[in-house]
Amino acid sequence: MSGFRSMLMTALACACLAAGPAAALDFKPYGRGDFAKIVKAHAGRPLIIHFWSVTCPPCIVELPQWAKLLDAQKGVDIVFVNTDGDEDRPRADARAEKAGLGKAAHYGFADDFVEKLYFEADKGWRGELPFTALVAPDGAVTTVTGAVDDPLVVKWLAKTAGK
Amino acid sequence: MNALRHSFRLLLALGAPLALGAPMALGALLGAPAAMAEEHAPASATAPATPPAAPAAASHHAAPACSEPKPACAMTVNPAFDSKGALWVAFAVGKTVYVASSTDGGKSFSAPATIATIADGVIDSHGDARPKIVPLADGALLASYTTRPDKQMIGTIFTARSTDGGKSFSAPQALLNEGGQRFETFVVTPKGRIYAGWLDKTNMLKAKAEGKEFEGSGVAFGWSDDHGQTFQGKKILLDHACECCRMSSALDKDGQPVFVWRQVFEGNIRDHYAAKLSADGATLTGGRVSDDNWAINSCPHHGPGMTIDANGVWHVVWFTKGKNRQGLFYAQSRDGGKSFSNPEKFGDDAKAPGHPVAIATKGRLYRVWKEFDGTTTSIASQTSRDGGKSWSAPRVIAETADASDHPELVANKNAAYLSWVTHKEGYRLIPLPRDDKSASVK
Repeated sequence: MSGFRSMLMTALACACLAAGPAAALDFKPYGRGDFAKIVKAHAGRPLIIHFWSVTCPPCIVELPQWAKLLDAQKGVDIVFVNTDGDEDRPRADARAEKAGLGKAAHYGFADDFVEKLYFEADKGWRGELPFTALVAPDGAVTTVTGAVDDPLVVKWLAKTAGK
Repeated sequence: MNALRHSFRLLLALGAPLALGAPMALGALLGAPAAMAEEHAPASATAPATPPAAPAAASHHAAPACSEPKPACAMTVNPAFDSKGALWVAFAVGKTVYVASSTDGGKSFSAPATIATIADGVIDSHGDARPKIVPLADGALLASYTTRPDKQMIGTIFTARSTDGGKSFSAPQALLNEGGQRFETFVVTPKGRIYAGWLDKTNMLKAKAEGKEFEGSGVAFGWSDDHGQTFQGKKILLDHACECCRMSSALDKDGQPVFVWRQVFEGNIRDHYAAKLSADGATLTGGRVSDDNWAINSCPHHGPGMTIDANGVWHVVWFTKGKNRQGLFYAQSRDGGKSFSNPEKFGDDAKAPGHPVAIATKGRLYRVWKEFDGTTTSIASQTSRDGGKSWSAPRVIAETADASDHPELVANKNAAYLSWVTHKEGYRLIPLPRDDKSASVK
């Protein structure tokens, strides 16, 4: 019995250690209705909502670019949404940290009804990544599939951020 | 062959570093030199320290429909009928891969056999990636799954066999012990040879180690003549497939396997390529399915579907957002992939159509896909009784109002079925309608 208790204590200790250091980034849950909530929360300011995944190599490649953009575009709010499930979140955490996005605002998909989440951001979005929603101060949304250097992003920044 | 040679030329041209849009413009905005030259995430590099999984109480993800070892609790389910008419499914719940069978059309399942439980990392069981089950003619079962342990985008494909009717499985074996592989698919010939196709990052890793640019993954193949115990001839035959979309496969009229995948053509154009593997597994013969010209530096996560009918006609369905066409499309090849018919559009663009699949059964051809209207996810189906020349009006054969898997199609003798798992309704095996008349006018 004491052996069992000892094993149990050890198992619990291991579990605590395993759960130990919390994820470095605070990924807020992103579910149904959250696209509109985020837009509302940033109303009146230019906002970029960037969706990415650790299973998307082009996303990983450009993450450092987003870090630079975050630094350079102080007048623009940028929010990152990781579309992976919980099981991939530690990897997403590590990638975002490595890219220099440790202090950015991060959300993580917290709902498997992904069609709904895609639809709320753009009725035509089928889940391809990276995907970026550019939200003007008046709430007008422009969406872009692909890299941060897409001419649409550049043009939107130049116009909206006044650069 | 000409088409393939031409494709190889295109791929050779891909050896040059790719321009990634207009970095200078962004660089100017950033007030710094463009840094888009940064290489792809070095999958071969030591993975960053992976923090332990957060405790369940801190989990942000929606609670799964259930966590029991049954298909209804899985996000993805791969189905196949055996020669006696039993339905087999492979699926993952949490960190465990299971196989189970049903003899009542998916209403109930046998106690699941555990293929493997992984200690860390992730089992590929979302979207285009999922465990597989392949019933063999001698009653044996071949199961496969992919793990992504700790390194970014590096997968390992494992296979396991059962020779006791699915009660137990052999210890899983890695298909390859180096490089990185994902998106396996299997085809069994009438003589019992099992061909495997998969996307393979080995050449990408080599290129990265040499500091070279490399787009996508290799397309690799191998075969087994011992019922899946070992695979021989494992080799990358083509490079630069889109690295985040599944491959599909089918058996040609002559008993040889055909594969289709999203290829990265020159200019980062992610269109589709279909090719037949030679009997010795050494060469591919086929061609580009269409000139959608989807030039995009992104991951569609949206692979094509394929079936081959009794006349040897290749039928391909796919999704694109190309410059030349956008949406779901169908095309067929009557000359072994040398040429394809003009792409025919299907699906309702107002309902975000996606994830098309196709299957041929005796005298019937079906295409099935997913649509979403903002509230309800539907699976729509069309039937052709004239080899794909004309199609019946789309008919919704299943719906759900919450999370769901992509549709899968499976055949048993002359009947075809939709296999679909949804959060609310659980697992469903739905017969495809055989009585739909093909539309007289498309």
